Amino acid sequence: MAILLGLEFFIVFDRTTESFEKSLKNGYTMMVVAKNEMSIDDFRSWDKHVLKVEEIKKSKILNSVNIDLEKDKGENLEHSLPNFYSIKLNKYLSISELAEVKSNLKKSEDITRIETFNSVYQSQYELFSFIKFSFNTFIVFMTIIGFFLILKQMEVWNFLHAQRMKVMEIFGASLFLRSKVLINLSVVDAILSAIITSGVFFVIQNMWIRDTHMSILKENVESVFYLSDFFILLFASISIVLVAVFLVVINVKEEE
Amino acid sequence: MSENVITAKNLTLAYDSTEKIINNATFEIKKGDFVFITGPSGSGKSTLLKAFYGNLKPQDGQLNIGGLDMTNIIKHKLQELRTHLGIVFQDYKLINEWTVEKNVVLPLWIAGYSAEVQSSQAKRLLHHVKLTGKEEKYPLELSGGEQQRVGVARAMAKNPFLILADEPTGNLDEYSSNVIWDLMENACQQLDTTIVVVTHRIPMMFNIPYRHFSIDAGGNIREVH
Repeated sequence: MAILLGLEFFIVFDRTTESFEKSLKNGYTMMVVAKNEMSIDDFRSWDKHVLKVEEIKKSKILNSVNIDLEKDKGENLEHSLPNFYSIKLNKYLSISELAEVKSNLKKSEDITRIETFNSVYQSQYELFSFIKFSFNTFIVFMTIIGFFLILKQMEVWNFLHAQRMKVMEIFGASLFLRSKVLINLSVVDAILSAIITSGVFFVIQNMWIRDTHMSILKENVESVFYLSDFFILLFASISIVLVAVFLVVINVKEEE
Repeated sequence: MSENVITAKNLTLAYDSTEKIINNATFEIKKGDFVFITGPSGSGKSTLLKAFYGNLKPQDGQLNIGGLDMTNIIKHKLQELRTHLGIVFQDYKLINEWTVEKNVVLPLWIAGYSAEVQSSQAKRLLHHVKLTGKEEKYPLELSGGEQQRVGVARAMAKNPFLILADEPTGNLDEYSSNVIWDLMENACQQLDTTIVVVTHRIPMMFNIPYRHFSIDAGGNIREVH
């Protein structure tokens, strides 16, 4: 159960961080000012992380600053303005990677200014990294605890089943027959564990998160549990118990 | 001439290379023989029995059980041999979480017999060991004598060609001991089963012809009767 909970937490966390990372990536743009017009290939020739380039209309900029000028003066001003570009990147970069993108683009003589909105990006990135680190640490601990619980369970199985397996071996039972009872028992345990763990996450998804007012959770509610998770958990739990049972069975030695 | 069920030639048994338990033994046990093996504590009686069911490989010499060379027997063949043996232990070695009936039919279950055959055989055997009505009890709910009778019934469940018994009546009351000796005598006489019993002393009232091997403190075996 502990291992399955850890595994499901890992799956959910991986999915949620992936979607959160995607939303951060999609929500982030850097602003570039260039003397001459530049195409996406021009930008990509300086840095491969450039995914999408959108030119910001000069008229839009003038409108937004809301300066009331005569038409011909306005046109002159528009012509004298440099080109503004909004750039999206292909992934959510670390602070140092972002600085590298900035310095790469700066190598272009056409580019006069780059605004990366560094402070906002940095705070978001650090928060994201902290959350990721915290969850990964939690999952590592869950895995370690799960591993020790399996060792304990193997000791319990050995204590409960070794005598029977030894007697059966004396009467000529094959390895499969000797371990059949333990295999049946452990597979039932594995199926129950997978059902219970799936049930816990299904309840969290459908009863708790849907009723909560926390938007960050509500936005990712679908990521909390997929039906396919049940099969992943089932496969993992059955694999783990079969390996554990096999280790128990081969370590039961006939009495001398 | 009867066929040999057990043949030992210059057989030496040991748990390690320094101390020999059975020393250079040569004997033959034929089909239908009832054999008692006696000797002082620690002389190697139980060790010899272990070698008979493949729990201990000979250190030297030859040991042949039911036509199989036990010195080089492979796992699969040993498993097959054991399905044709009946083994009775002094400490019963019953499976405590299984009912009496399930314990009795263990050899049949291993051999893959149907549930009907197992059930009818269990009834018949439990009747013979005077435990009718205790089918659904668990071993720990029975007395020592009753548990040993379950052990004997289990050993006979598949009509083995050889029954090996290690102190089967060691700590039992007279009634249980008599039931067990009667059963073994009948199996030997009626089914021609070969029976080898390791014991401290041969029962006073034993009604069929038997052979008696004695092991001395040095692990030497000689036939005395």
